[in-house]
Amino acid sequence: MKEERREPLLEVRDVSFGYQQKTLLYALGLSVRHGEMVGLLGPNGSGKTTLLRLLSGVLQPQQGRILLEGRDLRAWGRRGVARRIAVVPQELHMPFAFTVEHMVSLGRTPFVRPFLGSRTQQDQEVVRAAMLSADIAPLAGRIFNELSGGERQRVTIAMALAQQPLLLLLDEPTSHLDIKYQIETLELAQKLNREQGVTIIAAMHDLNLAARYFPRLLLFQRGIVADAGPAEVLEPDLLSRVYGVDVQVGILRGAEHLSVLPPDEKNNGHSDALQPQVHVIAGGGSGALVMRALADLRIPFAVGALNIGDSDHTLALRLAADVITEQPYAPIAPETLARVRDSLAHVKVLLLCPTPIGPGNLPLLQEAVRFSAAGRPIIFLSPPGSETVCAPAQSVQTDDGVLQPGGMAARDYTGGEATRLVTQLLRQGASVAGSVGEALDMVKEQLAQTDRTPPRL
Amino acid sequence: MKLATRSARAEAPQRKTRRYRLPPPLLYLLLCGLLLFVILLAVSFGSTAIPLATIAQILLNATGLFHLPRSWDPTFEVIILQVRMPVVIGAALVGAALSASGVLFQGILRNPLADPYLLGTSSGAALGAAVAFALPLATIFLGPLFTLTPLLAFVGALVTVMLVYLLSRTDGHTPVVTLLLAGVVINAVLIAFQTLILTLSPNARFGIQALFNWLSGGIAVTSWQPVLIVGVIIIFGIVCSMGFTGILDTFALGEESAAHLGLRVEWYKFFFIVLASLMTAAAVSISGLIGFVGLVMPHVMRLLLGPKHRLLLPASALGGAIFLTLADLLARTIIAPAVLPVGIFTALVGAPFFLFLLRYNKRAYRW
Repeated sequence: MKEERREPLLEVRDVSFGYQQKTLLYALGLSVRHGEMVGLLGPNGSGKTTLLRLLSGVLQPQQGRILLEGRDLRAWGRRGVARRIAVVPQELHMPFAFTVEHMVSLGRTPFVRPFLGSRTQQDQEVVRAAMLSADIAPLAGRIFNELSGGERQRVTIAMALAQQPLLLLLDEPTSHLDIKYQIETLELAQKLNREQGVTIIAAMHDLNLAARYFPRLLLFQRGIVADAGPAEVLEPDLLSRVYGVDVQVGILRGAEHLSVLPPDEKNNGHSDALQPQVHVIAGGGSGALVMRALADLRIPFAVGALNIGDSDHTLALRLAADVITEQPYAPIAPETLARVRDSLAHVKVLLLCPTPIGPGNLPLLQEAVRFSAAGRPIIFLSPPGSETVCAPAQSVQTDDGVLQPGGMAARDYTGGEATRLVTQLLRQGASVAGSVGEALDMVKEQLAQTDRTPPRL
Repeated sequence: MKLATRSARAEAPQRKTRRYRLPPPLLYLLLCGLLLFVILLAVSFGSTAIPLATIAQILLNATGLFHLPRSWDPTFEVIILQVRMPVVIGAALVGAALSASGVLFQGILRNPLADPYLLGTSSGAALGAAVAFALPLATIFLGPLFTLTPLLAFVGALVTVMLVYLLSRTDGHTPVVTLLLAGVVINAVLIAFQTLILTLSPNARFGIQALFNWLSGGIAVTSWQPVLIVGVIIIFGIVCSMGFTGILDTFALGEESAAHLGLRVEWYKFFFIVLASLMTAAAVSISGLIGFVGLVMPHVMRLLLGPKHRLLLPASALGGAIFLTLADLLARTIIAPAVLPVGIFTALVGAPFFLFLLRYNKRAYRW
């Protein structure tokens, strides 16, 4: 009840961030309410830790804003943020022989004056309470460096608790621990979340532990691919695509939570069903409907190349068997193009969606011309009439009597080169579909045909 | 889960408080008493033998609180107050400054090998001194306060540290590793310059001998004025850093964790480097290069007191003062009337003492 009337604790609005040239997070949006417990999943280098560092205010977003209780993180000031957000690092390296009690009392730093500040009676009580919560009171007099990994992790959590945070950020809290301490640490996090209402966001490596302890999971691959409960996020196809490895998901006998397992020995490698049959070239939302339809028909397809941040890209990660990815706003690099060529060599049909063509993605059309020159089927999808604004939807007759998919002129940002390539494609015998339904019929027809006659290469 | 916490609780009591350390108030009392005694002792040695009781009376009179009848030779008073006291107090101040800045550097860089000279203070000061010795201007009168050598040494030390700091700054950050590497490189470059100046300078032979003496370290003061000026800087530095010892503790967690606790890490790093370099430069300007104190005294006090900077910093300053006063005393008396460089004694006496503490305590000491 209480949560509902309050604004979200944390709001991430269109945040972009990258190191040097490489964009890691693109136009990220996220909202976390008071009392939530959120797990961040994703392969190494997917930007989980970067997001945590952005949320703690150590890094500044290059674009967009991060709001804590409705106020920009920067406006809170460093100390202000530290009084509300605490961070538990993966591992804390302490060069001095500080005692556990002293370490935990360092958590009060944001509340103590920097010059000649001393800890008050109230500070002492908070420190004691934090040690009790983390169950480390008996260790108070011990030297931090002499503790076991799990005990140390508890001390770092107690330190964070001494900050009396609204939000606790954990960066892969279990990665250095054995199974006993992994469970202990997450039980502690859950206890704090349930009993003291601390909101928790944790980057997690272990999918099984994440499924067990976090009611809300965010799956990351340089952006949020999925944001839901474990049942929806831990979906084998989705995980396979994001992590690049086949997995099984199921409920172990006697357990009540989902488990993620390596694939069976006999079923190793990609099954034939996942082998893409259709390659889709899309972008800017032009492929959304077709991709959903293909997925509904269970026709495995590859998409690409698509830039990160393109709405088609986010959708493709969910639906496609293979997604060829390019950096945000970047023109298609030779390596990426090679992957497209590779994908084209294995599919049966190429589907071209009415995406705008500029110098950046022109190479895709050139690949299409090569594909068609080998005598293989290409299907053009015309833009639906209601959605095109500046060009007539219907196909038009050009001077030399060849059909041209509608609106090509309006989508051509290459000074005519794209139109020329499209015209060439049509002359080589590409078919034009006036609607998504028509396109799907054509795809099915082509697949049925090529099933009978193997593709010429 | 319950099982795990129970076992942690069970093993805790038996391993508690196995560390032997002095209670802090007792140690402070000891250190203060020892400092007074050592100063008294140092003042009593010299070419003229003066009884300890007389010295005590002269000093008490000099405080202005006591008015004891003068039953001694008036020249004693001049010798004690105008000749010996400036040197002894200078030595104590230099020792305190080097140890305190050693604590600051070790804490801020989180490196047990850090000492006050790490970021180029020594080579900067040495270059300044070399310039002063090589120039035919050494006799130039710069007003009543300072001669050229300490002034150039002071300026050289500070400018070098600032140069090292600016060189290692990238994107608003000053990574510790870059800082250390830049310090090493600048040290090498400046030492090359110093050698070049000495080789090319016309009065080279005289210059080299004088510079050697200066580099080996020795409290070179003949009046109160430089001691007072240097003393003000050093006392200011120590008092100021004592106010921020909590920050030093937080820094020990690492820069990222310190930032998570709301500290402006880069700002404080700059502040502490400036403060420590200021103290070092002031000390070096009247003492030349005295090694070892700044590296070892913080470790000794950590062994005796533990690593909390609130206790460590003042104790190290006191310890450094005692130690350097003693070393200076030895340097002046062992082959009197000749004076040996102090640096010899800081290493010869300090190293075995430190090694003894280290071996005695080695199981517990993790710096």
